[in-house]
Amino acid sequence: MAEISEAPSTLDPDFDQENMRKSKPGLKRLTLSLAVLFSFLLGLPFLLKSIEIYRSSPPPFREIDDLSTAIESSPILFPCHFRAVFVNFDPNSYTADQLSISVQAHMAKFAAKNSPACGTCASNVTVSVTLDSNSNCISNGNNVDWKCGALNEFKFAEKHEDGLLDEDFASLLDNNSGAKVYTVVAVKTEQEEVRAVVGKYRHAWIMGRIFEEEAIEKIAEIFVNVFMNGGKEEGLIHGEFMPLGADGRIVLSFNLLNADPHNWIYDWDFQEIDENLLSPVIDALKPLADVSVESQVLYHTPKSSFSFWDDRLDSYIFSTKDLPFFVNSNEWHLDTSVAAGGLSKILQFVVYVPSAKECPLQLQLPNGEISTTNGFISPMWGGIVVWNPSACLTDSKIKHPLRYKISSEDSRKLFEVFMGQLRQLFGLKSDGLFVGASGTSILLASERGFSEWELDVLSRQHSCFNLLQCGTTLGSLSRLVQSLPRMIIMDDIGKQVKYSLEAARLTLSNALLGIYDASAESSRQARLLAEDAFYHPSMMSVSYYSFEHCFAVYSPFFLPVSLHVLLAVLREWKRYKQESKKYYAWKAK
Amino acid sequence: MGIWGSLFLLFLILISAYQSFAKEGSAEELNEEFTEGLLLRPLADRKVLAHFHFQSSVPPTRTYGRHHHLFPKSIYQLIKKFRVREMELSFTQGRWNYERWGGYDPISSSNAKPPGVELWAIFDVPLDQVDASWKNLTHALSGLFCASINFLEHSTSYSAPQWSFRSFTGKLRYGTLPREAVCTENLTPWLKLLPCRDKAGISALMDRPSIYRGYYHSQRLHFTSDEYDTAKSNSGIMLEQTLTVVLQPNTLGARAMVSGKTLQPSWSLSSLFGRKVHGKCSVSKSSNVYVQFEQNLVSELKEVWKESEESERGILTHNNFWTNPIFEMSASPHRIVKEVGNLQQEDSSILYEFSVEDFNDSEPFDLGLKWKLPVAWSCQQAPLRASRFLMGSGNERGAIAISLKSSRNNNTQRVGCSENGSQLRIDIFQVVPWYVKVYYHTLKVFVDGELQSTMENIEKMHISSSEDKVSPGVMEMILRLPCGVKTAALTLEFDKGFLHIDEYPPDANQGFDIPSAVVSFTDFQASIGFEDNFLNKLPILNELQERKHVICYTEVLLVPLTTPDFSMPYNVITITCTVFALYFGSLLNALRRRVGEEERLLKSKAAKKRGPLTSILSKLFAKLTGRPIKPPETQSASPSSINYKVIVKVILVAGMAVGWQYYFR
Repeated sequence: MAEISEAPSTLDPDFDQENMRKSKPGLKRLTLSLAVLFSFLLGLPFLLKSIEIYRSSPPPFREIDDLSTAIESSPILFPCHFRAVFVNFDPNSYTADQLSISVQAHMAKFAAKNSPACGTCASNVTVSVTLDSNSNCISNGNNVDWKCGALNEFKFAEKHEDGLLDEDFASLLDNNSGAKVYTVVAVKTEQEEVRAVVGKYRHAWIMGRIFEEEAIEKIAEIFVNVFMNGGKEEGLIHGEFMPLGADGRIVLSFNLLNADPHNWIYDWDFQEIDENLLSPVIDALKPLADVSVESQVLYHTPKSSFSFWDDRLDSYIFSTKDLPFFVNSNEWHLDTSVAAGGLSKILQFVVYVPSAKECPLQLQLPNGEISTTNGFISPMWGGIVVWNPSACLTDSKIKHPLRYKISSEDSRKLFEVFMGQLRQLFGLKSDGLFVGASGTSILLASERGFSEWELDVLSRQHSCFNLLQCGTTLGSLSRLVQSLPRMIIMDDIGKQVKYSLEAARLTLSNALLGIYDASAESSRQARLLAEDAFYHPSMMSVSYYSFEHCFAVYSPFFLPVSLHVLLAVLREWKRYKQESKKYYAWKAK
Repeated sequence: MGIWGSLFLLFLILISAYQSFAKEGSAEELNEEFTEGLLLRPLADRKVLAHFHFQSSVPPTRTYGRHHHLFPKSIYQLIKKFRVREMELSFTQGRWNYERWGGYDPISSSNAKPPGVELWAIFDVPLDQVDASWKNLTHALSGLFCASINFLEHSTSYSAPQWSFRSFTGKLRYGTLPREAVCTENLTPWLKLLPCRDKAGISALMDRPSIYRGYYHSQRLHFTSDEYDTAKSNSGIMLEQTLTVVLQPNTLGARAMVSGKTLQPSWSLSSLFGRKVHGKCSVSKSSNVYVQFEQNLVSELKEVWKESEESERGILTHNNFWTNPIFEMSASPHRIVKEVGNLQQEDSSILYEFSVEDFNDSEPFDLGLKWKLPVAWSCQQAPLRASRFLMGSGNERGAIAISLKSSRNNNTQRVGCSENGSQLRIDIFQVVPWYVKVYYHTLKVFVDGELQSTMENIEKMHISSSEDKVSPGVMEMILRLPCGVKTAALTLEFDKGFLHIDEYPPDANQGFDIPSAVVSFTDFQASIGFEDNFLNKLPILNELQERKHVICYTEVLLVPLTTPDFSMPYNVITITCTVFALYFGSLLNALRRRVGEEERLLKSKAAKKRGPLTSILSKLFAKLTGRPIKPPETQSASPSSINYKVIVKVILVAGMAVGWQYYFR
């Protein structure tokens, strides 16, 4: 509106028409425009509320944060029970309590060397000690069911093999209570050589001419480094790399690759391997994972790295530097499996049969030696073994390639290598020896691939890693949801998060009680639910309503209207001020 | 005597060794097998048909176990997981030309497929789980073959034919994607299922540019499994993979002419594919290349032969025939297979068999065919030629018409008719998407141009009408036509539906596809019988021998639907909001209006005559032009100053626009 200027009149010479007025300026129009403006301002929150994305059950952000901080601040530790049995030691030099305290002190020393890893035992371990000598049998602690004097019945002659001895101990230590107690039996014999063996079950024994101090140190080391930490060394695979799918399933995919079928074609009887060798392992892993096995034979699959002829070794050599390029992802169509849906983990095991122009093919270790297994692993992917056919050196210029079958003896050997690789993929030792500060211990290999104490370690670690994974997944989910306030969240997701949190809490309580299997199960559940929530199809959809979109929809109305309202208020305000100035000018006069 | 005795002993040992070997041989029969084959056929229109055939078979799991050495793992897992009894998946580019390439032979019946993707599967699950299995299968296949087969998941895109397509009531699902583009990304996973892929054997010929340059390209995967049959005697899983291509041989420059007629183009494997065969795939049981001369070509060749040289019949199978005056083959065939059982005609088609087993890298196999005399022949036609088209115009309604025309040679038709009491049976299966609302009561049948009463010619009909956004319309029909029919036509009227704005595919203005209809002539069977019984072991010949109905696919129809302006919702929002804003603004202004004051203002303006703005502007203009300020005393000056005002306003607006353009570019 143009500025208002009244027509000049010459009626009153004192009265300046331009700058004075006699009446008070009206407030009607100003209040009206202000009322409109304020009603708009008041209505704005209602509008924003009405166009807000309604989340009926938002994920409980605070609880998620609590969980992840709880998991990250203190790794879950399980209570473990240890038992040391001293046989034929002098009962007068030490009492059982003294021994127990000194074992615990040594254990604390060993445990302090490496920071408490996830899934190990809690620091406040209890060690019950039994002193069993010919004359008497003393023990501290209440639940010790060592049959005193039982060891005297059989002689520790050298004819006893470790395996048989292991079974003997197992029958001796067999406790029906179900509690998982790790036992080390120290036996003082006349043998010069001190022999430490870790059995297939939950016990170990030390035998030989040994003194108390030595025995205590060794026992403590076996407790901490073998039973608690799984005999792992630094530098091996560790951390959160457990080759287990979120749903606790693993598919072991065995592949026989014939690099060039023009030279020879090798086949295998995998049915037999599966039935005789693999099924015990699968049974052993059952509490930990649901394992399924598949196999295939592929042809025309050359490796993609180069090898060179070495006269001294009389074979083609590929070195450890070439390993990253060995797998030929273009030609090796190992294929993901239809059976492994979604969150399962596939481990590929490959037998590579080299072609005639690179046969025999050997892996050279960095120290210049030839690898005995002629294979290697790739963490979280699987393992590869190069298998050189025996017909390799005979110069075969046959027109039609011959078909061979890998003999059952050879396939057994291959399988043993694969077993070692599988153990390595799980982060366990594959050579059956544990080298500690106080000497070397023999780790007896189970025919089932994994001994019981190893499975305990794995299941503890598994539940711990699952829980960590669950925490991080839920944490990133909550961060994502909070950063996108306009994203539609289905009720299912909120529910899944809630269940996941419940399962995580159950895991923690089970872990405190020391129930490994149940905590592994519930931790798996927690992780699975968390991943399900994160990968929910509705999360992926682009149906979230961005702010730009909202702005584009509402601006055609609100932009012009707000212009009108604001201008009206400004003008009325200005006019009111101007007019009241005029009024005051007149009044002052 | 001692020598004789030892010799006898040796003989005995040899015999026993042989026996044990033979025993092993018989045990081998239970093993997995893989065979490969290639069939080449010169076509009447100067093109060449190449038909690759690969077959893998595996004995049933019950006896053989679940670990395989040749059979593709992924297919086995697919069968195992979704309990598929039979499945066929085809990727096709181009349309099979039934007139020129034949419509009455086994290859056209089973390998001429509709453009895009066609998938059908029979499941061995309870009836209520079939749909779920189908959905999972489509997803698995789309991952396996890098194609958008998962679009067949929606219930609007697949159908369950009752009896016309294949007789498996209830457990069969059928779906097509006519617009799927087929290229190497689909071929590579298909090749991965072969043990040698394209590294060795006949499949090494598949040079991608040569294959995709062809006029027709169809890759097919078909398997049957009786893993879940209750019957004791099952034969395991049979996987058949075929690739059918129609190629134009390179005729290097001008067409060769002999005595005024154009010579058929000469070709060789290397000129067709740009590659040669370096031996067989080492794990395949047999690996042969066949060249087929059609029945009509054989009779034509005999005619030409008679003209050029008086000779006895059966010359084509003569010992040295491959250097005859009509054509020449670069290699001598391993064996010649003649068709038998074709009683109606004296001439029968001939297959020349070449084995690639004895070839290697230094001496690759490169078969060539060279024509010396012009030969012209026509191929065998299906009894009726089916085509389908749209009628009507506009975006509201239209009609689908299926026309059946009698093919030129009435020979075959007469044959089929005599068997069946002067009635010709035709099965039609057609799926129409829901947005094309077909009124089935408007079905009209015309025979030789005359409208027939509908029920007279239709023996059986099954219709499941479409449901909006739920299921497509399916029409299955058995038509009986009199034998001497020249033309027949079916018309169906339809309304075009409206889709929700979200349901339009990208590029909706292109139109919507109605999948091909399947027309099958169940009275006619396309098969070639061969004289040798032991040939039954060769899967590629088995495929030719298998008795199948003559089937042809009609064209895909493109229906233009009304497509909305996709920015419309936003436009509506904008214009409504603007109207509201205008209303609101004027209301606010009206409320703020001071009537008395405005009247005074007008009065003062009239008294002043010139507003302050105009005087300022005129002063400015005078300064710019350099003229002295003239007091505006006359009335005539007033309109010119108003004019200036308008011009300046226009310039101001234009300047603003230029500035806007400049800064916000």
